[in-house]
Amino acid sequence: MSAPPVLEVRDLRYGDRVAGVSFTVGAGETLVLLGRSGSGKTTTLKLINRLLEPTGGEVLVAGARAAGLDPTRLRRRIGYVIQEVGLFPHFTVARNVGLVPRLERWASDRIAARVRELLALVGLDPDVYGHRHPHELSGGQRQRVGVARALAADPPVLLLDEPFGALDPITRVELQREFQALEGRLGKAMVFVTHDVREGLLLGTRLGLLDAGRLVFLGTPEEFRRSELPEVRKFMEAVA
Amino acid sequence: MAAVTGARLLAVTVLLTGCGERDRIVVGAKNFTESDLLAELVAQQIERRTGLPVERRLHLGGTFVCHAAIVAGQIDLYVEYTGTAFTAVLKHPPVADRDSVYRAVAAEYAARYGLVWGRPLGFNNTFAIVVRRADAERYGLRRVADLARVAPRWRAGFGYEFLERADGFAGLARVYGLRFAAPPTAMDLGLTYRALADGKVDVIAGNSTDGTIEALDLVALEDDRRYFPPYEAAPVVRRAVLERHPAVRAALDELAGRISDAEMRRLNALADVTRRDIAEIAREWLAAHLP
Amino acid sequence: MSCRRSGSSWKRSREFGADVSLLDFYARNSRELLLLLGQHLYLVALSTGVALAIGLPVGVLLTRRPAWRGPVLGLANVFQTVPSLALFGLLIPLFGIGAWTAITALVVYALLPIVRNTYTGIAGVDPAVREAGRGMGMTDGELLRLVELPLAARVILAGVRVATVVSVGIATIAAAVGAGGLGVYIFRGVATVNDTLILAGAVPAALLALAADGLLGLAERKLVWRP
Repeated sequence: MSAPPVLEVRDLRYGDRVAGVSFTVGAGETLVLLGRSGSGKTTTLKLINRLLEPTGGEVLVAGARAAGLDPTRLRRRIGYVIQEVGLFPHFTVARNVGLVPRLERWASDRIAARVRELLALVGLDPDVYGHRHPHELSGGQRQRVGVARALAADPPVLLLDEPFGALDPITRVELQREFQALEGRLGKAMVFVTHDVREGLLLGTRLGLLDAGRLVFLGTPEEFRRSELPEVRKFMEAVA
Repeated sequence: MAAVTGARLLAVTVLLTGCGERDRIVVGAKNFTESDLLAELVAQQIERRTGLPVERRLHLGGTFVCHAAIVAGQIDLYVEYTGTAFTAVLKHPPVADRDSVYRAVAAEYAARYGLVWGRPLGFNNTFAIVVRRADAERYGLRRVADLARVAPRWRAGFGYEFLERADGFAGLARVYGLRFAAPPTAMDLGLTYRALADGKVDVIAGNSTDGTIEALDLVALEDDRRYFPPYEAAPVVRRAVLERHPAVRAALDELAGRISDAEMRRLNALADVTRRDIAEIAREWLAAHLP
Repeated sequence: MSCRRSGSSWKRSREFGADVSLLDFYARNSRELLLLLGQHLYLVALSTGVALAIGLPVGVLLTRRPAWRGPVLGLANVFQTVPSLALFGLLIPLFGIGAWTAITALVVYALLPIVRNTYTGIAGVDPAVREAGRGMGMTDGELLRLVELPLAARVILAGVRVATVVSVGIATIAAAVGAGGLGVYIFRGVATVNDTLILAGAVPAALLALAADGLLGLAERKLVWRP
């Protein structure tokens, strides 16, 4: 028998903004949630880590009901990356990355080692950047730190809300490529929200298209390209 | 046409309110009830006997404030106490004889300040060293000298003027050998009775004619060593005002010797304890005693 | 007013006690000066401390319950507008004559700057920072302790600075209700028309206010995180 999927969402609802969304994400998979503004993709993401409380449906993380867990404990097991990054301006890069391990009371040398490892993973030399403050970094560098921070406590699930949306096109492409390379190695279940079809096709193992709070398509990038659904065609035309 | 009238109006206004002697009398008072009462009495007496308009400036400040004001001509008249004038203003060491004190202040005030002393109103408002009745009974306190026994364990509370004056706390402590555990607590004079009644302090310096002494179950100790000079209340007026309005003199003289210690205490109690309006108390008294 | 008299009256009022220079006065009364200074510092320090202990949590609470902000800040505002002498007088029946009335009044006046600045400081934290913190699993307490308060510290300290300087000034009124402090000199001077005495109280009070402002300004610059 196979293990339950790392993340399972069943008939999730939030008023009329999210109207019954269901999907599963396994380890090593990236589900890209695509959709126009207002389609409910960010809301869906926030329902998973309970920044918003669902009005209906269920979220299961590694088989356990998210609603039954303490929200704080739940969120520490879920990495969260947002568009504005939200690094703590008064912490160094190292302290920012080491936040959750510190909250979880890891030993300080273990934290230090982990921080170095992750900074290197996201392409930042820990000796150069570790003691710097966010305001000394470029937008792209900050988001790298943001990703490192989200991975610090090695959570099984990673949620990303338009992480590269605020970056200039060149930096965006750079980070997309690096992220694609990382995806395979990390083995996490990731839900990646974006409105950029190209980004979605590049990074997703599967794509989910949200329209007015409903999941109208769920499938591989290939299936997405070949789909005849009107909503999908509209998206593909915009890219063509 | 309008411009000329306006100019004339302006000139008249300036003349009436500006430099030169006014045709109204300004009566001042110190910052305690009795002084306000006496000022109101004097003001109403002048109004009814001379027909002159009188402006009141009650509760101005302490002795020194009123003295500075009358010397500067900002007030024309206020009721002062002979002993206060003698020791605090003229800075002489205290003297016990009533008449010599009066004669001395009258002469010096006339010579130095151009101020005239009216005839005394009839009562002696000396400083009263006041304690709670319960304490007086428990420690057998009847005279100020008895205080020396309890002073080391007691707190004193005084108003700012009493602390500063030569005939105030410093001299009292010296003459009676009073040594308190800590320097006296200083506060607004009006609060000292409350502080004593509430137990925040154990002895204060009130006035012998205060209405609140009996009402708050307090006792005044006898000044057995005659430390305090006599404090006879009398009006002090600017000579220039009397020269311009001689009728004022007659009006003031009518009040001479009319108010006894007990009568002043009664009037003070009406104001402080019964809380009647000061102007009304004065009006009633004048109607009853000088119709 | 009699303008004819004004020139001579100024000279006349000088005879009451401005003959002692301020420094002479301090030399002769150094113990008393230190005592009053100590009392003044005690009043200001204690009341500011209490105001901080009350105001900081209230300010934090207002960021958690925005609906309360209007009424609470409105109330603190009203307290501020009560004339200080009047407030002292009104508190006497409750706390009696002496330091407690003064301290209570001073706490009341210090509350508004502290509550308001705590609220503003915390509310001014970048919402993205707050969202990231929550999203990563920080409890409300951890967020407050590790993120919001450190980031708001500068603004909060500025509020404490204002409260302290105001307190030093208002504490001079404490002398009217028997609470001691530098106001004792001022009231004595006013009662006896003695400029030297008035200055003897007013000058150190002003210097104290300047010193407090300066010290807290230094703390603001050196100790707390700056953007």
